[in-house]
Amino acid sequence: MRSALRVIGAVCVKDLRIALTERVFLVIGVIIPVNFLFLFSLFALTGGEAPIAVVMQGQGPLARQFVSSLEHAHSFQVHVMSTSDAERQLQAGRIVGVLTVPAGFDDDLRAGRRIELAVEVNNLQVDFTNDIRRAVPLAITSFYAQAFPDQVVVQAREVDVQAGDTGYIPYLAVSIVVAGMFIEGLLQSVVLTAREYEESTIKELELSPASRWAVALGKVAAGLVLTAAAAAIVTAVVVFVVGVHPVHPLEVLLYGVLMMVPAVALGVLVGTLLKRRQAAIPLALGSFLPLFFLSGPFGPPNWGGTAAISLVSPLTYAIALFQHAFHGYLTAQTPLAVDVAVLVGFAVAAVVAATTVLRRGMMA
Amino acid sequence: MSEPAIELVEMTKRFRNFTAVDRLSLTVQRGEVFGLLGPNGSGKTTTVNVISGLSRPTSGTVRVLGRDMLTEPRSVRRLLGTIPQETALYEELSAEANLRFHGDLFDVPRSRLSSRIDELLRLVQLEDRRRDRVSTYSGGMKRRLALARALLHDPELLYLDEPTLGVDVQSRRAIWDHVLDLRTRGKTVLITTNYLEEASALGDRLAIIDRGRLVALDSPQELKSRYGDTVLDLVLELAPSPALLVRLRSIDGVTAVNTADGTLKVNLTGDPEATGRVVTAVTGEAKLLRINQHEPDLDEVFLQLTGRELRD
Repeated sequence: MRSALRVIGAVCVKDLRIALTERVFLVIGVIIPVNFLFLFSLFALTGGEAPIAVVMQGQGPLARQFVSSLEHAHSFQVHVMSTSDAERQLQAGRIVGVLTVPAGFDDDLRAGRRIELAVEVNNLQVDFTNDIRRAVPLAITSFYAQAFPDQVVVQAREVDVQAGDTGYIPYLAVSIVVAGMFIEGLLQSVVLTAREYEESTIKELELSPASRWAVALGKVAAGLVLTAAAAAIVTAVVVFVVGVHPVHPLEVLLYGVLMMVPAVALGVLVGTLLKRRQAAIPLALGSFLPLFFLSGPFGPPNWGGTAAISLVSPLTYAIALFQHAFHGYLTAQTPLAVDVAVLVGFAVAAVVAATTVLRRGMMA
Repeated sequence: MSEPAIELVEMTKRFRNFTAVDRLSLTVQRGEVFGLLGPNGSGKTTTVNVISGLSRPTSGTVRVLGRDMLTEPRSVRRLLGTIPQETALYEELSAEANLRFHGDLFDVPRSRLSSRIDELLRLVQLEDRRRDRVSTYSGGMKRRLALARALLHDPELLYLDEPTLGVDVQSRRAIWDHVLDLRTRGKTVLITTNYLEEASALGDRLAIIDRGRLVALDSPQELKSRYGDTVLDLVLELAPSPALLVRLRSIDGVTAVNTADGTLKVNLTGDPEATGRVVTAVTGEAKLLRINQHEPDLDEVFLQLTGRELRD
């Protein structure tokens, strides 16, 4: 036992020393996770609300109230401008649509005359186009209910499940912390393990009497330390830059470790099986990305058949746990205890698989 | 009487349909320097991989220092020091860090580890470079460091795979001296090498393996004397015809005829008339440019036994 602990410590320290001398570890450790965070945030920022121009030919109070309804529809970035500016912006692709409030809007409305709102849409990108198609009628209804409450007798009464609304970016940022931890753990240990085969230093381990389990656990320990350091950086960016503060900080620590162990162990497994960084890194990234998207980074995973895949992804449970740790709410159908148990199961299975494969790989 | 250092009995290793080692039996006694020779693909590396526990034999028995490699691999590894051909050093770490890591893997007592590292770095003359990254070392320095690492846990059996491959003459001499010193200290040394000069200089006994089988096993002197008293090197203007080779082989006193590097090599017994008969036969068919007569060296023994040069 004592010698096994010594081996675990020695392998861990050796791997950390090597990691500190190699640029690739810095890239994996800091640049990739932080880049992920900014990439997804930009994606959310640019894709969340469609930029539209509103041309106000009618300037009355009801027309202004209508524009206010558009602004509060959570679907548009409204820019009021002239007809010529709007056309220019539309042609330049800076806005997705132009909505024109006609002259005499207030008078026609009061007189009960039919009003046609011209909506010119650049239907190049169907996601934004559909946003406009859905949101304009909703904004009209919302405006009508506010302007003429006695005429609109059917109203939606919203009952919130969660205590407060969570913005798209704060929700996504938490998912990205999980993604950062997972990809970091996976890649760090893939590199640490595959390089042993590439540099032939695996022979030093193979020819030693050290327990193969201890060697594998040492590698997992080194991967955990490196991943924890990178995870701290990404978490700090989320907390101090994005401004998402964890409601349960201790849960972040606990779930973070639970998340990192299977990621790191899987990295040891992939590195041992492929034995080449050039093959292992793209495979790790290539399998991680679709899994991440299927595991509910933007909301609970419930997309028909893909929900079944999400059930076997550790990311699903980790994202659910992290959303609770940061925002305090439950996003999954399973209780937190079950999520924790599943992650523990993934961690144990991954460590056992990694050590078994490493053990077999060291004796042909 | 103590058990042999290495004992292979009918050891076979197959990879699917390919038999790398075929019923190999050999014994290496404790305290001897034993050379294992063979061209590429002869089964030499597979044999040492089995001996060092990196590979399991398909059948047969492998005992190292009295222990069964299959059932007690960890205890065997503890007694085995290895210098792999590629050295397997962590190039980003210093010499000292490499040795300390090795000490941890082999559970060298912490109280002794530092003094042992000092002692071995002194032995291989790397004391002043102990804190430098191994990546800054020359090939010879890396070999010496690998030797120090292999000796760190005081193994009973040392295996050196091509110990002087790619090193300068000075480092080669230093490594040879270390190996000879190990023999005087009673260590068993197993060497695989492509340099027959090295095998001859260091090995108490040599085993020649070809196509997975043992083709000769003896001391270098015995091998030389057994496979011919004299060798004639004949340089011809044109390559010898197959008919000439057949004719030469039929001459009394000729034990072997081979060609190597454009030279016709004819091994002769002690018959003093044989040289004249060979020269007559050759000049009758080809223009002889040069002739040289000498004692056989291991290269020629190897060529005669395997039909190939060692570095084919």
